[in-house]
Amino acid sequence: MKKLALVFALVALTMAMVFAGGSAETAAEKEIEIKFVTWWVGADTKAGAIQELVDEFNANHVGKIKVTIEGTADADGLANSISTQIAAGNPPDVFCWGPTVAGFENYDGNLFMDFTEDLKGEWSECFADGILDQATYHGMTKSLPYDMAYTPIWYNTNILKEAGVEKLPETMDEFWDMCDKVKAAGYYPTAQMTGGNNAWTSMLWYTFLCGSIGGPAIFDNFEQEFPTNPVFVQAAEILQRMYLEYTHNDAIGGDAGVAGGYYLAGKTAAFINGPWYIGRVKNEAPEVFEATEMGFFPTINNEKIMVCSTLTNLAAANQKDPAKRAAVIEFLKWLTTAENAKKVAESSGAVLAVKFDASGNDNRLTAQVNDIINGSKGFVNYWQFYVAADMQLEFGQALAAMGAGKITPAEFVAQISSLF
Amino acid sequence: MKTKKQSNVIWILIFLAPAIALFSLFFIYPIGMVVGTSLTDWRNSVGMNFIGLENYIKFFQNANFRTALGNNIIWALSLGIFQIGMATAMACILARRPKGWTVYRTVYFLPSVISGAALSMMWKAIYNAQHGVLNAFLNTIGLSDLAHNWLGEMETALPAVIISQIFYIGYFMVIILASRVGIDDNYYEAAMIDGANVWQQERFITLPLLKPILITTVTLALAYGLRHFEATYLMTTGGPNHATETMGTFLYTKLKASKWAEANAIGTIIIITGGLAISGIRSLLSRNMDVE
Repeated sequence: MKKLALVFALVALTMAMVFAGGSAETAAEKEIEIKFVTWWVGADTKAGAIQELVDEFNANHVGKIKVTIEGTADADGLANSISTQIAAGNPPDVFCWGPTVAGFENYDGNLFMDFTEDLKGEWSECFADGILDQATYHGMTKSLPYDMAYTPIWYNTNILKEAGVEKLPETMDEFWDMCDKVKAAGYYPTAQMTGGNNAWTSMLWYTFLCGSIGGPAIFDNFEQEFPTNPVFVQAAEILQRMYLEYTHNDAIGGDAGVAGGYYLAGKTAAFINGPWYIGRVKNEAPEVFEATEMGFFPTINNEKIMVCSTLTNLAAANQKDPAKRAAVIEFLKWLTTAENAKKVAESSGAVLAVKFDASGNDNRLTAQVNDIINGSKGFVNYWQFYVAADMQLEFGQALAAMGAGKITPAEFVAQISSLF
Repeated sequence: MKTKKQSNVIWILIFLAPAIALFSLFFIYPIGMVVGTSLTDWRNSVGMNFIGLENYIKFFQNANFRTALGNNIIWALSLGIFQIGMATAMACILARRPKGWTVYRTVYFLPSVISGAALSMMWKAIYNAQHGVLNAFLNTIGLSDLAHNWLGEMETALPAVIISQIFYIGYFMVIILASRVGIDDNYYEAAMIDGANVWQQERFITLPLLKPILITTVTLALAYGLRHFEATYLMTTGGPNHATETMGTFLYTKLKASKWAEANAIGTIIIITGGLAISGIRSLLSRNMDVE
């Protein structure tokens, strides 16, 4: 009986201590915790700079706000995880989000934080002119453009010289001439791929072709026009020719590692990717880096067309607690200051939607990308922006058949359109 | 006044309650949720509306989904027949303890403890058209005409992925071997005295006595075949042009697109086809088992 009484006494004492501690905590100002779920971690080129910015933010807000980074560098896997959390009605506090037209449907719900009113002040001036429009849907801006995908054409000038090509091709005739000469010299004129989740490199070639044939507004009424506008078939015809005559034989089924691998190995003359790839080429293939020149896509009907998309937006969960909402906004404003954007851009080679003074950047290729962006006469969003993930995958599936000559370009377009 | 029987029923219900609650929470509820939402248009974080069987009708009218269903059946049959067949043969050989049998047992089982993802990536490299070992070997021995873009050609992709998985028999082999070594040696000694050769011993003694474990392993292999996903997704993402598509990869594509209702419709189809196929095959194989 004495033992029982002792146990009760201990339990009562413990509970008293717990409740006493709890009330003491609620009395004091509680630190706001923000989870930032991102793929800019691990080996990602932005990981270091983002971690430094978060550390600095936390140091400036000790005892008030604490941001914790969570995530994995596997962007596709993490994007799936985030989508699932959104579907479950529980998005992360702050998160990276790959915008697509289909994904903008999420704006109609009440899960994303709405920045529309916040951006009416000076914050909007941090962003490149007009770029916020790309993140606005039904009049609401519920995500912030951050990481941009400007994807020029990369040429290996060593291969071009060896093949007897004097200058970067500016028209399609010059491009085909380059392809013939490069092929005759024993190299692959273009790097392609049908694999991965979106046939990335080939999807970019196709986007350029659509833009160069149809002009910057080619995707404006995408869902209505894609099945019927002949521009999309014409673009597919050119892409099919690249596959049938001017690429490596493992392009069908190949993924980004295959397409990029040919360029890194110095076996391909022309390749498309974004500036974030510059660091990798510099580190893994210094000779190719030295030989690389960035160029415009050859003109078909419209000259100097450039692919420009928001690759990653910053979004946040809607907050009922005004204090937490304010903390999230403060953190996002911190990430999007010109000074901090410059740190991220310069350390990673990425092009950001946030304006900053880019002078003093000694990376030759980054400077070339900026020149191309400034010299562009029209921008198109990449093709995959307009479709949901299943249609992005269908692009690669249909391309595999078209690239092998099993279906015609018209059938290629029809196969993709069947998913609308 | 409660009878003893009534009292027992109450106690039975009390003791069953935790199990029923857990079963309902982790099995009945999720399946109900999957089936229920498959009848809606749920996608992204937008609310859902009831649309009846529209998702199911759409899938069965979709040639690529029918290909996926067919590929799952090919997977199930390949694993259920060839993989279990090879595992049974190897278990019978090793049960006779040939020289170095423990080494063989370990070697065959080893891939079962290696990540499936790692194995898939290894095979992807082996099959690579340009730098892969398989084409290099064919070129070396003068059979370059047989070299292919194994995972990139619609004719070779599915067989290539299946072959990459089918020889990993270790998991089933050890299950069958454990059952095989449990068979009394007296049966074999008696058969030998009667003049039965090795083949006859295996055919008329081993196989009938292994039947219960073979039903179990075939069922497991079928279940794996019908829900197959990992190797196909990692090696081909269901391509080229859906040649290797399975219901699992189809489902995953819909999940990626945040088309939750469509994904759940596929999940329901997988559950139904799996249940039908497994109960059918078990009923077929179990027939006359008691008599034997």
